[in-house]
Amino acid sequence: MNTMKWLLKREYWEHKGGYFWAPVVVSGLLALLTIGSMLFASVAGSKGGFHLDGHSSISLQQALSSISASEKVEFAKGLASGYPAVAMPLMFTLGFVVFFYCLGSLYDERKDRSILFWKSLPVSDRDTVISKALTALVVGPLIAVAFALALSLLVLFSLMVLAAFHGLNLFGPVLGDRNFYLVIVQILSFIPVYVLWALPTVGYLLFVSSWAKTKPFLWAVGVPVVGGVILTWVNALAGSPFVLESYWKVIVARGLGSAFPGSWLGQVAESNVNINPDNAVSVLLANTYGLLGTANLWIGVAIGLAFLAGAVKMRRYRDEG
Amino acid sequence: MSGVLTAKGLNKHYGKHLAVDHINLAIQPGRIVGLIGPNGSGKTTTLKAALGLIPFEGELKVLGFDPRTQRDGLMNEVCFIADVAVLPRWIRVREVLDFVEGVHPKFNRQKAKDYLAKTKLSPEMKVKEMSKGMIVQLHLAIVMSIDAKLLVLDEPTLGLDILYRKQFYQNLLEEYFDENKTIIVTTHQVEEIEHILSDLIFIREGKITLNTSMDEIGERFAEVMVNPDNYAAAKALNPIDERTIFGKTVFLFDGVPRATLAQLGELKTPGIADLFVATMKGTYA
Repeated sequence: MNTMKWLLKREYWEHKGGYFWAPVVVSGLLALLTIGSMLFASVAGSKGGFHLDGHSSISLQQALSSISASEKVEFAKGLASGYPAVAMPLMFTLGFVVFFYCLGSLYDERKDRSILFWKSLPVSDRDTVISKALTALVVGPLIAVAFALALSLLVLFSLMVLAAFHGLNLFGPVLGDRNFYLVIVQILSFIPVYVLWALPTVGYLLFVSSWAKTKPFLWAVGVPVVGGVILTWVNALAGSPFVLESYWKVIVARGLGSAFPGSWLGQVAESNVNINPDNAVSVLLANTYGLLGTANLWIGVAIGLAFLAGAVKMRRYRDEG
Repeated sequence: MSGVLTAKGLNKHYGKHLAVDHINLAIQPGRIVGLIGPNGSGKTTTLKAALGLIPFEGELKVLGFDPRTQRDGLMNEVCFIADVAVLPRWIRVREVLDFVEGVHPKFNRQKAKDYLAKTKLSPEMKVKEMSKGMIVQLHLAIVMSIDAKLLVLDEPTLGLDILYRKQFYQNLLEEYFDENKTIIVTTHQVEEIEHILSDLIFIREGKITLNTSMDEIGERFAEVMVNPDNYAAAKALNPIDERTIFGKTVFLFDGVPRATLAQLGELKTPGIADLFVATMKGTYA
C-alpha cells in the first residue's frame, strides 16, 4: 500500500502539468471571463443602459430592485443548484488530459529508457500499471472536481457579492437552499461512475501505450478509424453487409471517447421528466446511475480490465532495445 | 544456495538469431565479475535475462529466484544500472530520493545524501539540467545506498570522460563493495576495470569462451617475448596469438608451464585487453 502511495505521487510529479496546471489555467480563464464580465456589467450598468420591460436605459440598481420577490426566489433557486455549470469546461479539459496521459505513460518510459530505472526497483509491473490507471481514473478526476467546485463557489460568491452591492441580497435564499449543499455531494457522486465508464478507454490507451513501438497516437486512433473506413468501402462495394453506425458508435465513440466525463449521457433513455435548473443535476445523476443497470457499462469494464492485464504483460517483457 | 547466479543451458533467440547459445555459468558471492565481449556478443542479453527483463529458455537462477516467475522478489535483492543516463528527465534529486526511499526497503537515504554532498548536485535539481556525468553520479549514489546482494552494471560509464569513469569505479570499490556483495560489470573500457575484477568471463557470439578468476590468469596465460632464433620452438608449443614488436615476436600461451616458456625468452602476465584481442580475433571478419 505504501508502494502504491509513492507510485501515485510519482505519477503526479511527472504529470503535474496536466493534472494541476491545466485546471489552474482553465479555472483562471473561466474566473477571469465570468467575474470580469460581471464586474463589467456592474460598472457599466451602474449608470444605466439596461432595457427592461419597455423602460429604456435604467441602471443595474434599478433593474435589480425591480425584480419581484417571487422572481428573486426563482433566481436564487436556480443559482443554488445550477452554479457548478460554470465549471463544465474543466471536465472537458480532464477528458483531454486523461486521454493523452494514458496514451503516453507506458510509451514514454520506454522511449526515454527510464523504464530501465523504474524496473530496477522492487515495484511490480502490475502495481505500476494499476497506479497509472488510478491516476487517470481517480486522482485526475478528484483534482478536476476539486477545482470545479472551488471555481463554481468563487463565481457564485462573486455574483452574490456584486448583487448585494446593487441592493439584491441573495445570500439568504441561496445558502438556505438545501440544493446548494446537495449539489456538491451529487457532483462528487459522478466520480465512481466515471471510473467504471472510462475504464475501457483508459485500459485500451494504456495497452496501446505499452505496445506501440512508435507513434502510439496513430495506432490508438488510426487503427479504429482506418478500420471504419475499410468497412465503409466494403459496404459500398458489397451491398452493406456491416452496420456501420454501431461500429462508429461502439468502437470509435465508446472505445476512444469514454475518457470524457459526461460522454455517458444519452446512453440511458430518459423518461419524460421536466428538466429545469432546479433538478438538472439530480436528473443527470439519476441518469448516470442508471448506467449501472446496462450491459454497455459492465462489458466496458470487463474489456478495460482485460486491456490493463494486457498492458501488465506487455510491460513485463517489452523492452527489446 | 549454490551461487549468486547459476545458468544451465541458457538460450535466447531473437527470431532465428541465437543471441545467447546454451550458456552454463556459476557466479559465487563476494566476487567482482567482468563480463567482456564485443558488440552483439550476447552479454547484455544474458544480463537482461538474469534481471527478468526479457523471456528466455533454459535454466537460470539468480539468488535462488527464477527471473521469469519471481522477479518481484528478486528485485528486493538485486540492483542494476542497465544503461547510461536512464533516470527520467523530469525528476528532481529530492523526488527520486523520496521515491526510492518509499518503495525500497533496503535504501539508506543518509548514505545517498552523504555521497551527493561530495558532488555538485542539489536537491531541487532536475535530471534534465544535469550533464551525463552528473546523472551517473546521481544514479550511482542511489545504487550504492541500496544494500543489494547483487549489483549488475551494464556499460555504466559509456560516454563519460575519464575523470567520471575513474571516480565511478573507485567509489564502487571503496564505498560499496564487501564480501557479502557481488558485482557483475560489462564494459568496453577493459583496462579500467582490470584491477578491480576478481573474475573474468569472455563471451563471443553467445558462447562463453573464457571463464576464470584473475588469479588463475597469471597461472594459465603467459606472454613471452621471443628472439627470432627461438621462433620455431615457440611456435611448436601452440601459442594462441602472436604479434611482432621491434623484430621480436610476442607469443601468448594458454596452459603451457611457465618453466618451459622461461627458456624461450622474457615472461609476462598478459593484460585483459591483450587476452581479449587474442581471443576475439576474427569476430568482425
